[in-house]
Parts: sequence; structure tokens; C-alpha cells
Amino acid sequence: MKTTSPLARVTETLLLTAFLVLVLAIAVQGAFQTRAQIADTFNRQSAIGQAQIMLEELLRLQIVEEDSLRGYVLTKDPFYVDQYHAAVLDFDDKLATIRATIAAQQVPVVQSALAQYASYQDGWRRHIASQVLQRPDALVSDLDKRSKVYSDYETRAATLVRSELADRNRALAASTQEQIDESAYVRAFFLLLFGLLAILFNAYRSRAYRELEEEKYTTQILQRAFRSEVVPLPNCRVGGAYLSASSHLAVGGDVFDVYRLSNRLALLIIADVSGKGVDAAVLTAFIKFTIRGIALRRRDPNAILAEFNTAFSQTVENPYLFVSMFVGILDTDTYVLRYASAGHDSAFVRRSTGVQQLAVTGPVLGVMEEPFGDRMLNLEPGDTLVLATDGLTEARRDSGEQLREQGAMRLIAAAAVEPQALCDELVAQVRAIGGNHLRDDLAILAIQIAPSEASHA
Amino acid sequence: MRSVAVLALAAAYLLGCTAGAWADCKLRGGEHVVLYGSADDPSVLAWDSAERLREYNAASFDEARALALHAIDLSPGTRAQVVSCRPDFVQSQTADVVGDAVGVLILTGSYRGLTRWVLSTDIRDVDRAKKQHH
Repeated sequence: MKTTSPLARVTETLLLTAFLVLVLAIAVQGAFQTRAQIADTFNRQSAIGQAQIMLEELLRLQIVEEDSLRGYVLTKDPFYVDQYHAAVLDFDDKLATIRATIAAQQVPVVQSALAQYASYQDGWRRHIASQVLQRPDALVSDLDKRSKVYSDYETRAATLVRSELADRNRALAASTQEQIDESAYVRAFFLLLFGLLAILFNAYRSRAYRELEEEKYTTQILQRAFRSEVVPLPNCRVGGAYLSASSHLAVGGDVFDVYRLSNRLALLIIADVSGKGVDAAVLTAFIKFTIRGIALRRRDPNAILAEFNTAFSQTVENPYLFVSMFVGILDTDTYVLRYASAGHDSAFVRRSTGVQQLAVTGPVLGVMEEPFGDRMLNLEPGDTLVLATDGLTEARRDSGEQLREQGAMRLIAAAAVEPQALCDELVAQVRAIGGNHLRDDLAILAIQIAPSEASHA
Repeated sequence: MRSVAVLALAAAYLLGCTAGAWADCKLRGGEHVVLYGSADDPSVLAWDSAERLREYNAASFDEARALALHAIDLSPGTRAQVVSCRPDFVQSQTADVVGDAVGVLILTGSYRGLTRWVLSTDIRDVDRAKKQHH
């Protein structure tokens, strides 16, 4: 099965997330840009619309000028002269405004036509209106005819301006519509793209989550193989505790094992691999099952250690790895314990008279090929064999002071009678000493010869 | 009244109206019309020839002022009778408008009895308007 490394998975997730954010940013930026474009077009269209309205107002003022002049010729009433001059001012003001608006919109055809229109109106004022005002006896018919050509040409120019502005307005309206349509298409595209990416991202996440679940399941299976286990023994009460210095791992470099070799004989192991974490845990599994295999053939603890030492040296290529180990074979009928200790000094027996440390019988494993001695210990009902790793004896206070063997023996002496309760108490004590912080893995195995079943044959 | 009819017939003859020319005109010979320009500029220039009418609409401003000597300025609402027509004879210089040159006999106002040429867009058809009204 192809698996993805965690680093690659994180990288892929980050890349996908970055891409999603990028697409989203482009879509948002595009939306703002489109909005600005549409607003600009709309403003231009609005300006053209204003120009159209002003043009009609300009034409109205032109008529007012002409009508005022005609009214003056017919009535000679100075009111019409004032009206004429007011209309001239309004006209010029309006013309300036519309010319500025058109200039801002850069429509040369309209600018030119508007200039033409203005020149016609100016010509009319100079050649017709001013002469009539100076010569009040002018006839209306004469005025009308002379004005007619100016009027016609102004109308033509105004028609051109009107037509061009209308065309411009229509073009801008079409452009606005086009931009809105385009914006809708672009947004739809990005929405679709974003949606697809989100679906892909979700699918990827699901796959990654599934892989993680599979890994978790596999880890649980493997942990079961690595975990130290206790099994019930006849005439005995057994307890055990295990703590890994790596808080997120259920395995470490310490291991203990209780394994029944026969109806009477039980194999007892406790070992401490140099190092911590998963690498050390893999070795503990190797130790556990290799010792079991050897012990099924050989019942001498020293021979078991010797054979394991050879296998360990040949199997593990790392010269810096070593193992301290206590191996015991307990006869659950006679309570005789034969044991060998490869540099493992955290082995104790608690009797009614006190706690005694069990002697080391050889060097640690993986260092040198030397014979291991073994010892025999007669246990009595009520006696408790306490096997631990250096996580107990090297438990350290914040001041740096270690518990050491003497401290461990004091704790064991004061601990509960029942083996599991004893193990739990020792764990609690180690935690308390270290300020709830473990510096090393800790394994404890306690086997008590059952007091109630002490009467053997 | 009889004199007006005689004048109309004479004008029709003089203006050289042909049956073919009428075919493409919106107006028909003998129709009574009212002359009216645009709302902004309702008076109507009437010309002594169709050619001058056409030239005026295509001329520059200075040329137009010179040509205007051959035109009379008719008040809006002047009544007339159609006596001749040249379809699509006039092309406006600025506005893309093609108009007929229409020969009319002026029936009211100080120019009553004169025949002149006007642009078809300055003509309102009284007879047709009456029919639509009824």
C-alpha cells in the first residue's frame, strides 16, 4: 500500500490551502476590479445623460433668446431686452458646463459639433440680435428670415450633438451590460473553480484522515505486540505498571513480561533498552519474543541471557545500544526463583523482614561476550518480588537528587501489600518526585506469593 | 376660388410634375397641407426652385446665408396645396435624412398664391390628419 509521509501530507495540505486562498483572492480582487470598472462606465454614462439633459436646456434657452428678441421687436417693451440678456447669460453658463462635461468624456465629434453650434449662436447674436437691439424699428418678418438660417444650422448642429450623445449613451449602457454579464460569467467560473477545489480538498482531507485512521489502527496492533503484559500465575498475585517518557506514546524502551513456560514454571523478564521512543520499543518487542523463544528450550536464566546476548550482538548493528535485563524462572509450586541479572540492579524482594536488593550476575547485554551467573532464591508466601527499571531508581527531584536503590527500597517497603496497588503507588511516587514529569521510561512488575495459598505440599 | 384652381394647374404644369415622380412620394398632387417645421424652429423656408432647396440643405453656413435670398420664410401653420414632388431629392448635410422636395401652392398668408418648394419634413398632411381624426 502506498503511503504518504506526514511531511508530504502537510506540504500537500498547505499547497492546496494556499491554492484555495489564491483562487479566492483572485475572485475577490476580480470582483472589486469589475465593480470599479462598472462604476466608472456608469459614471461616464451618467455624465453623458447629464449632457443630454443640459443640451435640451441649452436649446430651450436658445429659443428664449430668439423669442425675447421677437417680443422686443413686436412690443418694444424693455422687459424683453432684460429677458434676452438673462437668457444669454444662462445660455453661456450652460454651454460652458456642457462643454466641460463633454471634454471630460473625450467625445471629439460632439465637441466639434458643439463648437459649431456655439459659433452659430454667437453669429446670430452679433449679426442679428445686436443689430435689432440697436435698431428697434426692425420688422419681425425681416428678423425671422435672417434668423432662419442660423436657426436651421443650429438645429443641424444640435441634432448631430443629440444623436452622438444618444449613441454614446447606448454604447456605454451596452458596455455596462457587457461588464455585468462578464462579471457574472467570471464570478460563476471562479465559484465553480473554488467549489471544485473545495471538493478536491475535502476528498484529499478525507483520504488523509482515512490513512491516519489506518495508521492509528496499525499502531494500536503493533503496540499490543510491544506492550508489556502480565498473566495470572498459580499461587501468585501479579501486578504491573508501565509509563513511557514520551507522553504521546504507549510504548518505550522498557519492557517486562510474565510468560508461562509450563504448568509450574513462569518466565519473568524485565529489561531496559538504552534510548527511548519507538526505536527502543521495537527492540523491546525483539527482546520479549526472543527471550520467550529461548526460554522454551532452555530453563537456565544465565544460559538464556548468554544466548540472547549472542543473538542481540548479531542482530542489532548499533554498537551504542545495550540492554540491562533481569530474567527469572519461578516455580509456582515450590516458590523457588532462579534468576540472572545482566546489569539490572532494580530488582528487589520484599519479605516480612524488609526489602532486599537482588544481586547483578553479569554485565549488560550487547557490550561483551561474557558468561552470566545465576542465583536461586526461595520465596515464602507473602513475599513480593519487585522488578523495576531505572525509571524508578533514577527518579530525580528538581534539585537533581536521585531516588537511587535505597530510596526505591524505602518506597517498596512502605507500599501496599497487593501487587497492583504496590505498582500504582510506586508510579504515583515517581510522578510526584519528578513534578509529574518523567525523565525516563518506567516499568514495574510485582509478583507476590499468595499468602492464602502458602501451604504447599 | 376659380383663380386659385387655375393657378394650381398652371403651377403643376410649370413644375414639370410627372406620374412617375409621384409614385415614390408620400404626398399626392392636390392634397391640402399645413407647413410646420420642428417644435424648436416651426417656421418654414420655401424656395424658388427644388435645386436651391437641395443646395441649401447641403451647403456650408456661408453658402446657406447667400442662398437664403432665394427663399421666403413662411409662418408655421401656413396652408398650401401640393402641386409637385421630387422623391428623395434632398439630402441633409448633418442629419442622415433624405426628404422629398415638394412643390406647393401657398394658400394663406402674405405669400398667398405663390408656388414654392419646401422640404417634405416641413409638411403636415391636413387631409390625412382629418381622416384619422374621424
